Amino acid sequence: MAIMSFIFAFFFFSSLQPILSLYEDQVGLMDWHQQYIGKVKQAVFHTHKTGRKRVVASTEQNIIATLDLRSGEIFWRHVLGPNDVVDGIDIALGKYVITLSSGGSILRAWNLPDGQMVWESSLHGPKHSKSLLLTTNLIIEKDNSLIVFSNGRLNAVSCIDGEVLWKKDFEEESLEVQQVIQPPGSDFIYVVGFAASSQFETYKINAKNGELLKHESTAFSGRFSGEVSLVSSETVAALDSTGSILLTISFHNGKISSQQTPVSNLLEDSPGLAVIIHSSVTGIFAIKTDAATIFIRVIGEGKLEVVEKTNHETVVSDALSISEGQQAFALVQHAGSNIHLTVKPAHDWDSNLLKESIKMDQQRGFVHKVFINNYIRTDRSHGFRALIVMEDHSLLLLQQGAIVWSREDGLASIIDVTTSELPVEKAGVSVAKVELNLFEWLKGHVLKLKGTLMLATPEDIAAIQYMRLKSSEKSKMTRDHNGFRKLLIALTRAGKLFALHTGDGRIVWSHLLQSLHKSESCRQPIGLNLHQWQVPHHHALDENPSVLVVGRCGPSSDALGVLSLVDSYTGKEFSSLRLVHSVAQVIPLPYTDSTEQRLHLLIDADKHAHLYPKTPEAIDIFQSEFSNVYWYSVDDDNGIIKGYALKTKCSGNVADEFCFDSRELWSIVLPSESEKIITTATRKLNEAVHTQAKLIADQDVMYKYISSNLLFVATVAPKASGEIGSVTPEESWLVVYLIDTVTGRVLHRMTHHGSQGPVQAVLSENWVVYHYFNLRAHRYEMSVIEIYDQSRADNKDVWKLVVGNHNLTSPVSSYSRAEVITKSQSYFFTHSLKAIAVTLTVKGITSKQLLIGTIGDQVLALDKRFLDPRRSVNPTQAEREEGIIPLTDSLPIIPQSYITHSLRVEGLQSIITVAAKLESTTLVFAHGLDLFFTHYAPSRTYDSLTEDFSYALLLITIVALVAAIFVTWILSQRKELQDRWR
Amino acid sequence: MAFSCKNSSKFNGFSGCIKMVMVGTSAIMMQRRTLAMEASLCVKKSKKKGADSVTRPNSQISAAMAAVTPLLLLLLLSSAPSFSSGSRNAYNINGRVKIPQGLGTKGYALPGRMSNVKVLLNGGQNITFLRPDGYFSFHNIPAGTHLIEVSAIGYFFSPVRVDVSARNPGKVQAALTENRKGLSELVLEPLREEQYYEIREPFSIMSLLKSPMGLMVGFMLAVAFLMPKLVENMDPEEMRRAQEEMRSQGVPSLSSLLPGGARN
Repeated sequence: MAIMSFIFAFFFFSSLQPILSLYEDQVGLMDWHQQYIGKVKQAVFHTHKTGRKRVVASTEQNIIATLDLRSGEIFWRHVLGPNDVVDGIDIALGKYVITLSSGGSILRAWNLPDGQMVWESSLHGPKHSKSLLLTTNLIIEKDNSLIVFSNGRLNAVSCIDGEVLWKKDFEEESLEVQQVIQPPGSDFIYVVGFAASSQFETYKINAKNGELLKHESTAFSGRFSGEVSLVSSETVAALDSTGSILLTISFHNGKISSQQTPVSNLLEDSPGLAVIIHSSVTGIFAIKTDAATIFIRVIGEGKLEVVEKTNHETVVSDALSISEGQQAFALVQHAGSNIHLTVKPAHDWDSNLLKESIKMDQQRGFVHKVFINNYIRTDRSHGFRALIVMEDHSLLLLQQGAIVWSREDGLASIIDVTTSELPVEKAGVSVAKVELNLFEWLKGHVLKLKGTLMLATPEDIAAIQYMRLKSSEKSKMTRDHNGFRKLLIALTRAGKLFALHTGDGRIVWSHLLQSLHKSESCRQPIGLNLHQWQVPHHHALDENPSVLVVGRCGPSSDALGVLSLVDSYTGKEFSSLRLVHSVAQVIPLPYTDSTEQRLHLLIDADKHAHLYPKTPEAIDIFQSEFSNVYWYSVDDDNGIIKGYALKTKCSGNVADEFCFDSRELWSIVLPSESEKIITTATRKLNEAVHTQAKLIADQDVMYKYISSNLLFVATVAPKASGEIGSVTPEESWLVVYLIDTVTGRVLHRMTHHGSQGPVQAVLSENWVVYHYFNLRAHRYEMSVIEIYDQSRADNKDVWKLVVGNHNLTSPVSSYSRAEVITKSQSYFFTHSLKAIAVTLTVKGITSKQLLIGTIGDQVLALDKRFLDPRRSVNPTQAEREEGIIPLTDSLPIIPQSYITHSLRVEGLQSIITVAAKLESTTLVFAHGLDLFFTHYAPSRTYDSLTEDFSYALLLITIVALVAAIFVTWILSQRKELQDRWR
Repeated sequence: MAFSCKNSSKFNGFSGCIKMVMVGTSAIMMQRRTLAMEASLCVKKSKKKGADSVTRPNSQISAAMAAVTPLLLLLLLSSAPSFSSGSRNAYNINGRVKIPQGLGTKGYALPGRMSNVKVLLNGGQNITFLRPDGYFSFHNIPAGTHLIEVSAIGYFFSPVRVDVSARNPGKVQAALTENRKGLSELVLEPLREEQYYEIREPFSIMSLLKSPMGLMVGFMLAVAFLMPKLVENMDPEEMRRAQEEMRSQGVPSLSSLLPGGARN
């Protein structure tokens, strides 16, 4: 009986469908996908018409999106090109979203409901200038028109088809146009600007045909500084370049009159350098000094009055006209853990239309922007909703004193990702809230069985799908046996750390890092990378794991560094320190101390090495390995690769025993006139290789050259480092190197003539795969280089092995100069690449697949067997048996092997692979603007049952078999009895 | 300016050229440039007439300018491309993406599918979108060879090599890079549809029977029902002998294996 069922079970295993790809109903079982838009720059509400209320937003990541105002969900979204920065957005005719982008040279209209582009027009002009977009309800030749000022030219563009109705150039070299104003109800336009930064110029233009009606200019003694603020349709306020004199200039009917007021007249204490804040509230403007934000009202003829001085971080919105001739604007101020939202009418500072206090999560930081919109309540009074953008780039909608929805758009700009294990499940503590009882378990499986036999009704199918997606198993907060449940810890550009659960992608915790917070000593902090600081294993299981966040106080590499240590279970920042040295490189060392804290070496800009953690124990461990630490640096600008080792303790005047001097071991100087470094790639530190030997046909063995010190460098001709098509094939080439980073030995060098970058490369085990552009064929190519250790090749002799005359036990070391051979092959590949990665499994037994992030923001899995230099047009029988695929000139793209299936990871930046505990499975996390996570089994899940394995079918079969045995037993007994009677 | 006047009289046949030369001022650089422009225009015109006449204007010019240094000729050739368009070195590429009806009827029929199509130039350096009729354009593109890719979920498009010629503005040569097929006009059509999901086989008796489980059950049934038939057809003498043989060897029957069978 036991044997029988075992055989059956065996057959079950072998009968599993070989699924490499997904069925449509499996979407969402192992994968999740999240969409973001990034930090909002400008938002326009669309709430006038009946129907769904929307908000249109443009972001710093060059995205145009419309969001549902009720839920914050994305209706549609378009990602513009990297150079296509959005200058302005607006809604025209109530149905088109107008965007001005690319420095004012591209004007597009999008259909508001579905995001279809309606028209696009290209605007040129004589010179580079500020870009301004102004929607009017002006009608020229029966067309509603837009006024666009860009590139030194004023254009009137039809809303219907994007045609330019008239244009007017402002060619004067020194003219800087600041504002384009259309006084309400008039049919002329003012163009206001500075000439030679000391002349104020106004142009009055006929809006119907672009004719210049009047031009006035006035010279000032001082110089203007940048921005102007519009006080009314015929008055502007500006600051002079010293930031101490306020100018109010009115140009009523083309006559310029101005008033100068020193800032010190308005404020008792000297405010320091002031900056004008861009706002459009009638009668009021704001200036910002180091200490405060000051609101100033313009009364009558250039008389100024300070209405409020706020010392908190204050943000003001643009004006919103709520009824005929009445404007309102919003102010947001911080007070402890609350924010105060105040909406005031423009004409009366002292009264409030709305005053609300909302509790705000401290982890969101300060408010950066506010946009308001009004609605009419049932009692005919005005209600307001405010959209606020926070310091961590999140977007929140506030209405009636509460947060209606929030979006974590900081996740659209992830800098680095690492993973952390979840806590171990402790006995007696049930973490899962609802444990299924046996009956429900069985019921579920019967349903599943019905599903497999295609007997299920639509309701059943819905129930099955719900059950599969909502499986409590995958979102538990504990470690699982297969290692599928982990925390993905992501550092974002806003300096916030997020922990995402791999099961369903929810945010477990988030923390705005103190060390990456703007402060006096650190004005421009940026996050660099994340490292696993402490991974408790055996003897420190009580400790929580933690991650190290490395950052620096400025964009240059010699800015001082900052470090943070964050507990990865709770998100608490338990240590944060400002370093006295810069951080150029972070090297996690393969040594840990007694509490499993990993030793890290931080290399500063002066090539000193600093050891962390700064404990005596760490230094003891480090001393014993002192002579084994090597590192390298790549200087792209000068084309120099250098190798270093440690020398002595720092010789500086400060006795710092954790600081070490380095010595240069080797350097490779590439000729700067012919080669420019564009890409480097190294092996992942945590990659496991199962075996060094590779069995090939005819019982032969090849030994892979496996060294963790391998560096891949790709250089191109300096001329060809630009975009595709800028050079001819004759003057471009691509040179690739394989370098040993300990000795500086160039193991391999190869030139691809007529090729150019960009190069994407991945190095794993003993091979490197890279992608580049072949100008001769005008196609993308992918090449593979495999490197083999020839010095071990003669170990095939059995006698040598028996006698012991072999070198198999000698370690692979950079010290020994191994003889290597390389094999290489190239193939065409259809798409451009954004990222490339390779699957990573815990023991490295499973065969590898490449994960290719294509230009269409999809992730394609490609078997490494397609990139095998031993492929030939006609493989021999033995080679075929080995699994060598006949050579083709291009790599196949099989739609079913897109691991992102029908989804896009917009703005894809990188693909991260993490090994699960189960050997067959890799966890894949792709991030860009969107996040995508899935489990991927490169050689199918050979070591576990698939998710759709039907236990019920197995059970029923066993029951049926047992019944059959009993029936046959009874039958056979009866027959025997009859035989006896006979 | 003597020679330039001579020039104009010689080129009476080329009206376009005359104007240009007349514009030429006394500044020598300016003059050279105008001449260069003129030459390029002339070359273009003559090309239409036939290949044999291509050299004619050039030789005429050089003959007329025997007094001028040979450097001028060099300038003539080198500066020709930059003049062939009004806005220098910037061209527009216009094209169309056409998704044939009938394709894409299943699956990804998301609302506004055309709005999710992106057209990318040179690996994402420029990105543009489709108008409702499928047309797209790239503005301000320098002359040279470019690569256009179309990203559309559900379709496989071949990248297109586009040559923007400086000599013939507006003339765009295009070829699919996948199959090297030339395109007479820039109309991009998907090479094939992409199906991202495996299709579940509908339930059928045959597939159940073909599965290992089905085969096993089939085999068992065959054994259970066909074997007795075979036994029946056997010669009774032989059967008895075989049974005796079996008994002597002590092969247990199924009933004796089970607890109840121990009785006999």
